[in-house]
Amino acid sequence: MFGISILRAHALPRHVEIFSAGFGGHDCARKCLDACTSMFGGKMLTKIQSIANLGLETVPVTVEVDVAEKGFPGFTIVGLPSKAVGEARERVKTALVNSGFPFPNKKITVNLAPADLPKDGAAYDLPMAVGVLVAGGLVEIKNTDLTKCWFYGELSLDGSLRPTRGILLLALFAQKRRGSLILVPAESAQEAKVVPGIKVIPVERMTELMVHLTQVKPITPLLHTPIETSLEQVQPEFDLRDIAGQEQAKRALIIAAAGGHNLLMWGPPGTGKTMLARALPGILPPLTPQEALEVTRVYSIAGLLTAGEAVVQKRPFRSPHHGVSAAGLIGGGTNPLPGEVSLAHLGVLFLDEMPEFPRSVLEALRQPMEDGVIEIVRVSGHVKYPASFTLLAAINPCPCGYLGHPRRPCTCTDKMIAKYRHRISGPILDRIDLTVQVAAVEVEKLAVNNEPETGNRVNSQEAKVMVMKAREIQTKRFKGLKIYTNSQMHNREVKQLAELTPEAENLLKMAVEKYDFSARSYFRLIKVARTIADLTAVKEILPQHMAEALQYKQIA
Amino acid sequence: MEYKRLDKWRERAELKGLLDLAQKPEELYYRGRWRKTLFDHGVAIVGSRRMSQYGRRVIELIVPKLALEGKTIISGFMYGVDQYAHRVALASGGKTIAVLGWGIKERLEASDEQLARDIIKAGGSVLSEWEEQRAMLWTFPLRNRIVTALSKEVIVVEAALKSGSLITAAWAEKLGRKLWAVPGPINSQVSQGTNQLIATGQAEMWLDHSYQPQLSQTKDPLILKVREEAMTASELARVLKQPVAEVGAQLSLLALKGEVVEREGKYYAS
Repeated sequence: MFGISILRAHALPRHVEIFSAGFGGHDCARKCLDACTSMFGGKMLTKIQSIANLGLETVPVTVEVDVAEKGFPGFTIVGLPSKAVGEARERVKTALVNSGFPFPNKKITVNLAPADLPKDGAAYDLPMAVGVLVAGGLVEIKNTDLTKCWFYGELSLDGSLRPTRGILLLALFAQKRRGSLILVPAESAQEAKVVPGIKVIPVERMTELMVHLTQVKPITPLLHTPIETSLEQVQPEFDLRDIAGQEQAKRALIIAAAGGHNLLMWGPPGTGKTMLARALPGILPPLTPQEALEVTRVYSIAGLLTAGEAVVQKRPFRSPHHGVSAAGLIGGGTNPLPGEVSLAHLGVLFLDEMPEFPRSVLEALRQPMEDGVIEIVRVSGHVKYPASFTLLAAINPCPCGYLGHPRRPCTCTDKMIAKYRHRISGPILDRIDLTVQVAAVEVEKLAVNNEPETGNRVNSQEAKVMVMKAREIQTKRFKGLKIYTNSQMHNREVKQLAELTPEAENLLKMAVEKYDFSARSYFRLIKVARTIADLTAVKEILPQHMAEALQYKQIA
Repeated sequence: MEYKRLDKWRERAELKGLLDLAQKPEELYYRGRWRKTLFDHGVAIVGSRRMSQYGRRVIELIVPKLALEGKTIISGFMYGVDQYAHRVALASGGKTIAVLGWGIKERLEASDEQLARDIIKAGGSVLSEWEEQRAMLWTFPLRNRIVTALSKEVIVVEAALKSGSLITAAWAEKLGRKLWAVPGPINSQVSQGTNQLIATGQAEMWLDHSYQPQLSQTKDPLILKVREEAMTASELARVLKQPVAEVGAQLSLLALKGEVVEREGKYYAS
């Protein structure tokens, strides 16, 4: 299928073979190259367009390939390549040879411009390979304007293309330039097809690409599919209905989802904290197309999209283990990749056994919890990733876990318990609006049937509807402000927008006196009460809303 | 951390309880001001280091009443029941004596030191028979004999089958002090010792008689349920067949009024 004009190996004995003794195998290629060069006249310099992703920011990179007649044969890459980019020499050469192309035995210089921007990753394999073929005069490109083409992808030694991360970002970048064409590995091309206004060419192998570029056998571009179509029918992973007991914890989950509040669950091991946590994404409102794109961007750059997956459809749920490093949690590396906080963007970050996380790691959560973004500063510059998530934390009541357990004795001393609970710093706890107990379930008490009309056995679908209604009210309330949920209110907005009836205010005052609340807890309670009122679509905060909010106050 | 040696304690009338001991302490060291009246009617509250929620509630019920009657709470300053008894005594405006299981000169941990200071500030005392002595396995039983000897009555709140509290109970028997034991759930390890004391007749069962008539004639199903058994909000919602949101709101209101008490997520009748 690729009997193209490129590969006709004319054996024209034009050069004196000085070094030929040891290079038997290369002889043929060199002669072939000579032949080709003489046939097409050989372009010396070619510019291929590609990109670099700096965090979620995409900048154009021009891959300049020069194949010079003069000078010692060699392959040099300049323009601040990382180790992975440098190794492209071997991949490009081998892939081309294994695909049946001759490799020009000349002085090849590749410059990745702008030259002062550090480049990383193997995605420049494809633009370099194309550049070598074009500059070496081995293919003749027809009907294709190379200035509108964006090449990005990693090569395998056999000449096929490997899945590459960050394709969605390339697509979004190309979208801003009219008439763009992106040529990317077929396995990763799915994520680009949700972007309208560009042509996406999925490439399986180098040879396929060449027959496409020479117009011998063009590849069919991928059809654009709007995001909306892939967002339909997302089933929740865990249904609230499947969780036995824990009525109050489930209620707290609904409040957390409705108001975007962070939630702390405490209770002995094995009481369903993890199950409850996993049920939270299922009761959050479904991703909007805009949100889905935002999440997919992060997953694309992290390379976490599964092959063939176009967009992330579910709200993310991330539960890093407590052995995670600060870099793993907030993102890091010399070319910083998104960490768990960014992978949980617009979803749920679940920290099980929160006091077991090193304090330094937990402190790193403060910026994203406050601003919804995380800024990672490295020598090479700084990168910003979105990190707006709902934090779900679980803690045991004591280090052994069995304090207050109906059957098992706790073996901890008061001091150990106090120390354990103090491992989470005040500033983090200040940002957690809801605290709920997840007690050990006594099976005999579960046998009591719940009447459906009490609403205690709500399923995820019903809960989601409640949450969405409450969110709608909030969207109206915060119109024109840069906040979307009750949890984001600052003290000023609380005073303006969360109206208390005099009775509710009295109740709050009584509680402040009795429990010795700080000013912070005071505002937290009002925010939670506001969400509870929103769940029943009541305009003012009534005493019963405030009273319920008191159920979720912090444990001392 | 100032302490004094008590001169000629054997000649002091308020300490004649200690003379009942066969092995009398050689010296006595104390912190705070020496008040004779402190020893008029001492009640020892002893129990497990591993206090359960039940034990906590028991102390919260017994100690304030004793404090109100002007009795001095004597205990061993160990974490768990001992320290909680000291704390509740202070919180309810009573006086308390802590008998240390180590030398008076030993440095205390920050939180313990704070408690010791609070005890002294409230007119209580911190005592030890040693000046310099590290805490050892054998020092605690010796400490128990002083706790017992200084008291007129001994109340064992929670005790496992082999525990220091049972040693104190044995001292009480030997010295002829009135011994009480608080009954507990039979499936709780820390109540096995107390229940055994009752079963064998060594101790009288502590039933909080004065507590019963206080119960108001309420019809509130929540309070009635909680009086039967301490429960979490979820459990109450389940048995009462009401939405947990409402039950929670009512519980908050009752807690504010002081009609129920919340401890570690469970609600108790107050």
